[in-house]
Amino acid sequence: MPILLTQELKKHYGKEPNIVRALDGVDIAVEAGEFVAVVGMSGSGKSTLLHMLGGLDKPTAGKVIVDGHELSKMSDEQLTVFRRRNVGFVFQSYNLVPILSVYENIVLPVELDGNTIDSAFIDEIIGTLGLGEKRNNLPNMLSGGQQQRVAIARALAAKPSILLADEPTGNLDSKTSQDVLGTLKMTSTKFHQTMMMITHNEQIAQLADRVIHMEDGKVVREGRG
Amino acid sequence: MIWLPYTIAGMTILFLIITIFCCRRYVINTFNSIDKVLDRILAKDKSLQMEIMEDDRISKLTHKANRIVDRCISDIAQSKEEKETIQGFISDMSHQMKTPLSSISMYSDLLIEDKLSEGERQEFVIRIKSGTERLKWMMDSLIKMSRLEVGAIQLTPVQTGIRQTISESISGVVALAAKKNISITVSSFEEVLLYHDRKWTREALNNILENAVKYSIAEGVIEVSVEQLSLYTKITVTDHGIGIDKSDFNQIFKRFYRGRNTKNCEGAGLGLYLSMLILEKQGGYIMVDSKPFEFTSFSMFLQNCKK
Repeated sequence: MPILLTQELKKHYGKEPNIVRALDGVDIAVEAGEFVAVVGMSGSGKSTLLHMLGGLDKPTAGKVIVDGHELSKMSDEQLTVFRRRNVGFVFQSYNLVPILSVYENIVLPVELDGNTIDSAFIDEIIGTLGLGEKRNNLPNMLSGGQQQRVAIARALAAKPSILLADEPTGNLDSKTSQDVLGTLKMTSTKFHQTMMMITHNEQIAQLADRVIHMEDGKVVREGRG
Repeated sequence: MIWLPYTIAGMTILFLIITIFCCRRYVINTFNSIDKVLDRILAKDKSLQMEIMEDDRISKLTHKANRIVDRCISDIAQSKEEKETIQGFISDMSHQMKTPLSSISMYSDLLIEDKLSEGERQEFVIRIKSGTERLKWMMDSLIKMSRLEVGAIQLTPVQTGIRQTISESISGVVALAAKKNISITVSSFEEVLLYHDRKWTREALNNILENAVKYSIAEGVIEVSVEQLSLYTKITVTDHGIGIDKSDFNQIFKRFYRGRNTKNCEGAGLGLYLSMLILEKQGGYIMVDSKPFEFTSFSMFLQNCKK
């Protein structure tokens, strides 16, 4: 059973005749452990798709099923808890809490859920992402690439069902991007973490196991990687 | 008034009994829920879903139970997939071996006949030889690959300088390049310690260099450069041969996949796959960039040593 499934997913803005079909019937399935890239130009609907998948926005029609749970059937409170446990996010902006150290930022979502921290796992993540020395630093002492690596570590810490990354290298120069991409790729293999990465860059997408191409709110091409 | 102490004592006892009763019920309920959760793990059942949305302990347990079930299911699916891959691999492999083998058998049949000119005889022998070479190369790659995949070969990455690894790889293809008058240039770089297994990394780089030579035009130039990033060091091999179409970027590292424009060149679709495996086993990765007939560059990313 796929860990993530959409059925006839639609998101329309406005009303006829000025309707904007940001998503117009998207069916995708992501298997556990898979690293999928969604590629499309800006306006192709890829970011809207990611927002629907993460339960950040409600679809006009169709279903999003994450790990067997249909998101649209949940109340807002349930969705909050569900997201916290099942979905990890990495955005273009790092969204780190400036007054917390690297380590505190990483374990924040686990603590929010009231769970005890699996410190061996957290240490492994920190080591894998090359953040060992920066553990006690504040985010503003880090470079952009390092901050993004902290954001990735934070997304991994709660062992989510799926990690959603929206243009994770969008704010980084090409050199730093390659570092961040490498760590994403490595964590997906090492922790068997299901990932979906949204990007406009075909070159970046090659690291994924499978590439889904989007245009005008539809999936136009899906290549088995 | 004489009743007051008795009333208080009685009420206290009653209160205690109720408390104990409630506690008992709570504990029993909790254990029952845990029991249910465990049953569900055993049955690999994830049907009772809504419970996990509450913000309490049982819901957390259920959530974790669901993740265990997920893990089991995905592990089963993974091993099934691996089995299918192996089956596919065997059928691919037999298919790939058939072509050189049938040409060898055909030309040797022809050689047995008497009425052949010396020229023809010579040509057939050459054809047999090239078929044999192709088979041998495939066998070698297959052996390496199967050992890597079943984990019979453990890569032992250690902190060593990359300069020697690169120069050894290049010397492996110098003769091949000389045949086509291709020159290989290495831009100067500072020696750096990288976390890698020299023997296998040499193999990976060698495959990429061989490709660069193979798909370059005669008298071409191949450039090798090294660039240090903060976590990885990038070793790039650039050639100016036929190039690779963008839509092939994600495909070329797959086993037995051959680019759409490689029909005229020998190859089995194993080299890049092997290179990728080697890189991944050492915590690195590999990327390609190309513009057909302008340039093709393969970048190998190896982990920097932790300072």
